[in-house]
Amino acid sequence: MFQFLVDVLMRACDLMLVAIGMSAVYSLMKFPNIALVQYAATGGILAIVLQKIGAPVAVAIVFAVVLTGLVAVILNEFLFNRMLKIGSSTAMIGSLAVSLVFSAAFLVTVGPNPSRFRLPVSKPIRILDARITEPQLVSFAIVAVALGVFALLYFRTDLGRCMRATSTNEVLADATGINTARMKTIIVLISGVMAALGGVAIALKGEVDIQIGMDLLLPVFASAILGGLGNPFGAVAGALLISLVETVVTTINFGPLMGQVVVFLPVAYASAISFLLLVAALLWRPRGLFVSEVKRV
Amino acid sequence: MKSILLSGVFVLGLSVAAYAQEAVIGAVLPLSGSSATQGDDQRRGMELALEKINADGGVLGHPLKIITEDSGGRTATALDAAKKLVTVDKIPVVLGEFSSGITIPIAQYLLQQDRVHINIGSSSTQIRSLGKGAFSVIGLDDVSGAFAAQDVFSGGAKNVAVIAPNNAYGQGIANAFAAKFKSLGGAITSTVLYTEGQTTYRRELQQLAAGEPDLYVYTAYGKESATINRESFELGLNDKKWYGLYLTMCTADSDPQYVEGQIGMDLNYIGGNGGDYQKAYEAKYKGGFTSTFNGFAYDGVMLVAAAINKAKSLDPQKIEDAIAEIGKSYEGATGPILLDADGQRSTQPYLRLKIESGKAVATQ
Repeated sequence: MFQFLVDVLMRACDLMLVAIGMSAVYSLMKFPNIALVQYAATGGILAIVLQKIGAPVAVAIVFAVVLTGLVAVILNEFLFNRMLKIGSSTAMIGSLAVSLVFSAAFLVTVGPNPSRFRLPVSKPIRILDARITEPQLVSFAIVAVALGVFALLYFRTDLGRCMRATSTNEVLADATGINTARMKTIIVLISGVMAALGGVAIALKGEVDIQIGMDLLLPVFASAILGGLGNPFGAVAGALLISLVETVVTTINFGPLMGQVVVFLPVAYASAISFLLLVAALLWRPRGLFVSEVKRV
Repeated sequence: MKSILLSGVFVLGLSVAAYAQEAVIGAVLPLSGSSATQGDDQRRGMELALEKINADGGVLGHPLKIITEDSGGRTATALDAAKKLVTVDKIPVVLGEFSSGITIPIAQYLLQQDRVHINIGSSSTQIRSLGKGAFSVIGLDDVSGAFAAQDVFSGGAKNVAVIAPNNAYGQGIANAFAAKFKSLGGAITSTVLYTEGQTTYRRELQQLAAGEPDLYVYTAYGKESATINRESFELGLNDKKWYGLYLTMCTADSDPQYVEGQIGMDLNYIGGNGGDYQKAYEAKYKGGFTSTFNGFAYDGVMLVAAAINKAKSLDPQKIEDAIAEIGKSYEGATGPILLDADGQRSTQPYLRLKIESGKAVATQ
C-alpha cells in the first residue's frame, strides 16, 4: 500500500513542476507554452552533460537550471512575445514548433541514447513495504522545496502579489503602477527554472532521453487543464490526480475477476488514461476542477 | 620510357576492371539506440571478416567492400537505410539487423526487390516464413526457448514470471518458453511484454512481481535491459533469481553490481573452427568478446564472400543459389552452419552462463 503511495508521488513529481510552470505562464501570458516540456528535458540533459564533463552533481544541477531559465527568457523575448502580438493560438503553435526544434537539436547534440547521472549504486532503503533509493529521496526533496519556495513567493511577497494582480486584470495592474512587462519576464524565468528542476528531478530518479519532453506533454497538459489553466496550485492537484489514476490503472489486478492469478492492463495504457481525463475535463470542467478567477481564452 | 607507358596502361586497365567487378555488399546495423553495443560488435565481426577475405585475395579478384548503415534501432530508419543500399548503392546482398522487429521488415523489402538477405542477429521464429532469398546463419527461437525452459525447470523453479520486449522477438521467445515450460509441468505466473525505448520500467516490474514467482525470466535489449536491471534492484526484485534469455545481450550495458549472480542461456558463439577468429578478435580489439553476436556477423560475411566467388557473379539470383549450395556443409567460426530448405540454420548449440565477478562464464 505504501509502495502504491510512493509510486503515485513519484509520478506526480515528474509532472508537477512542469505543470505549475505551464499554468503560471498561462496566467500572465494567456497562452500555454508547449516548449516548457522541452525546458524540462533541457534541464535534465544539460545537468547530466555538465556532470559528465566534470562538474560535481550539485553544481551541474544549479548551472543547468539557471541556464534553462535564461533560455526560457530569451526565447520569450525574441519569439513568443512577438507571436503573442498576432494571437495566442499563433504563440501556442509557435511553441509547438520550437519544441520540435528542441527535439532535433537534442538528436544532433546528445544522440538518441538515454543517459543518466553517474551516481554510486545505492541500496534501496525500506520504509514500511516500500523501497526508495537515496537519489529518489533527493528528487522528492527538490520538488518539495521548489513547491514551497514558489508558494511563498506567490502568496507572501510583493512580487507574488504583483504577479497575481497582473494575471487577474492586466490593464488595472498597469494602471496601479505595476510594471506588467517585467512581471511577465519574471514569471517566464520562474517557469523555465521550475521546468528545468522538474527535468533534473526526473533525471535523478533514472534515465533521461531526448523523447522525455514530448512524453511529458500530454500528462502535463492534462494536469494543467484539470487544475484550471492559470491556477498554478490547481496544477499540483491535477498532477496528483493524473498520477493516481495512472497508477491505479496499472496496479489493479483483474486476475480474480477472470479466474487467473494475475492479469494487469498493459502499462502502455497509462498514457491513454491521461488523455481520457483531458477529454473529460475539457467536456465537463473546461475551467478545471477548481474555478479560478482567470477566464480561459 | 616504354615500360613506364606500358605499366601506366596496365594500371589503367586494372582500375577499369576493378570498377566493373568490385563486389560491394550492404549491412544495416544498430550502431546507435538501445542495441548499439551489440550493433557495434556485429560491425567488428564484419571488419574482421573483411580483413581476412581481402588478405586472402578478395572477391572476384578485388577487395570486398561493405557499406554499413545505422538503423538507430528504429524500423523506419532501417527501412530507409535498406532502400538507400538497394537504389543508390545497387548492392546484391544485405546483412542485418539485430532486433527481429526490424530484421523482418527490411528482409521483406529486400526480397521484394529481388535481393538476398542474410540474418546475422535475429532469432524470431517468424523469420523462417520470409521466403526464398532469406537466409539465417543464427538459430531461431523455437529451439532456444525450449532449451531455456528445460534449463529453468531442471534448476528447480516451478512458478516463473516472464518479461520480454513487445515485438516479434519478445512474443516469439516468450511463447516458445511458456509452451515448453508448461509442458514440463511448470507454471507461468505472468508474462509482461514491455514497450521498447522507455526510460522507466517500474510499473512493468511491479506487475511482474505481483504473481510472486520463484524466478524471473527476462530478455531485453542492452540499454533497456540496463534500466530493467537497475530498477529491479531498486524495487528489491533481485531477492529472487533472474534468468536471462541471451544473457550477454541482457547484461552487456548493465552495471555489474545489478546483474552479479544472474544465470541464463546464450548462443554457443565459438565453434571448433573459431579459435583463429577468437584470437584475431582479441588481438584487434584488445579484450574478450563484447557480445555473442560478432561471430555470426563474421560468418555471414564469409559465407556471402564464398558464395560470390562460387557464383562468379554479382547477380543476386546466382548468389542466392550459391549460398544454398555452400550451406549444405559450411564450417563457420560459430560452428557448423547447415542451412535447411528454408535457408535457416538448422542446428544451433546453446550455452548455460552465469555472471561471476562481472563476467559471463559457462556453467553446467
